[in-house]
Amino acid sequence: MRIFRMRYLWLNSVLLVTLLTSCTSVYKGLRRTEGNVDCIRQFSPAFDATLYSTQVNILKHHLSGLLFFKQMPDSSLRVVFANEMGFKFFDFEFDKQGNFTKHYLLPRMDKKAVVTTLRKDFELVLLRPDLRQAHVATDSRYRYTVVPTEKGHNYYITDSACTQLVRIEKSSVRKPVVKVWMEHYTQGTPDTIRIEHQHFRFNISLQKTHR
Amino acid sequence: MCKWMMIGVISLLSLQLHAQSGFKPVTDLSVVKKEFARAAQQTQSIQCDFVQEKNLSMLSDKITSKGKFWFKRENKVRMEYQQPSYYLLVMNGKDIRIKDAQKESKVSGKNNKLFEQINKITVDCVRGTVLDNTDFTTKAYENAQSYRLEMVPVNKAMAGYFKTITLVVDKKDFTVSSITMAEPSGDDTNISFLHKQVNANIPDAVFVVK
Repeated sequence: MRIFRMRYLWLNSVLLVTLLTSCTSVYKGLRRTEGNVDCIRQFSPAFDATLYSTQVNILKHHLSGLLFFKQMPDSSLRVVFANEMGFKFFDFEFDKQGNFTKHYLLPRMDKKAVVTTLRKDFELVLLRPDLRQAHVATDSRYRYTVVPTEKGHNYYITDSACTQLVRIEKSSVRKPVVKVWMEHYTQGTPDTIRIEHQHFRFNISLQKTHR
Repeated sequence: MCKWMMIGVISLLSLQLHAQSGFKPVTDLSVVKKEFARAAQQTQSIQCDFVQEKNLSMLSDKITSKGKFWFKRENKVRMEYQQPSYYLLVMNGKDIRIKDAQKESKVSGKNNKLFEQINKITVDCVRGTVLDNTDFTTKAYENAQSYRLEMVPVNKAMAGYFKTITLVVDKKDFTVSSITMAEPSGDDTNISFLHKQVNANIPDAVFVVK
């Protein structure tokens, strides 16, 4: 009986610790501080007509091709992804006001969830957030520009002086859902971009290439 | 009445367009088929460079890729993209090998209708049987140097990918000079084959799919 009680107590303790850990936000150590939220705008890529060699891993599938960002005369940005042989996967438009238009998506991929996921991923890359509700926070290493969203926050994480973008995290209330790395900026655009979803296998990897 | 006038005007404009580019409709397609097949009998292999231009109509821009192409009778094809990024496609019968910067994979043409069609068109071009492909309705035009074959997909699934596939065939040796794949969206992909070497010795190892 005593052994049973001890085991029961041990099991309860484990469950309690697991529950408490899973409910704890990974961002709980952040301290809100004064600071200029606009400093992250310098990391918004200045895509003109920029081409990236691209690999996409989604669940068990692998796609590769060329992803082309093109700034249009009306200031909208077109994002076109085609495989190396020229077959187009998608053609999206993001206008200056933040509106999104799907010009084309391969019929087999054309599902609402796919469109929404791709749209939100590329919105993180374009780095044009509405900063009216944003604030700055810090931990022992980094500076976080925290932008409230419908389901959580977007965290634009930089070094403490806001001179280098470390990564972007799109999070739920407690933990990151998507992480984006944009590294080695040359002529206003990153040489590499990596988008990683945290809850299922969906990764996009871009390497800038010459046209 | 108005409709017929419109059709007349469009037909005239279309004829004028063909005349401008020097191409006029081929009157007897069977003659072309025979010539094509006869020349193809003598083609054992083709090795050449290629330049691919993906024209994005709405963006008024294009993406240019370059690489090397190999064909060997009966049905071995290798396309190696070298710029702007590396991509390899090897088709050996029904087996297909694909390699990009990150991953190498093998697929079966039997399970991939699109690759099966690409394979079929490529092999048909070299065999000289492209005009017999029943998956497309084909119209032929000619000028002094070339034939132009305009292929429209019959199959609905294929029509989702291509509006037309246009082949320009060199009259000198009946090899394909260019392929243009027009998409329903208005974009197209043009592949030009350059520096062709016909019947060069190409080892089978070039087409290994393992």
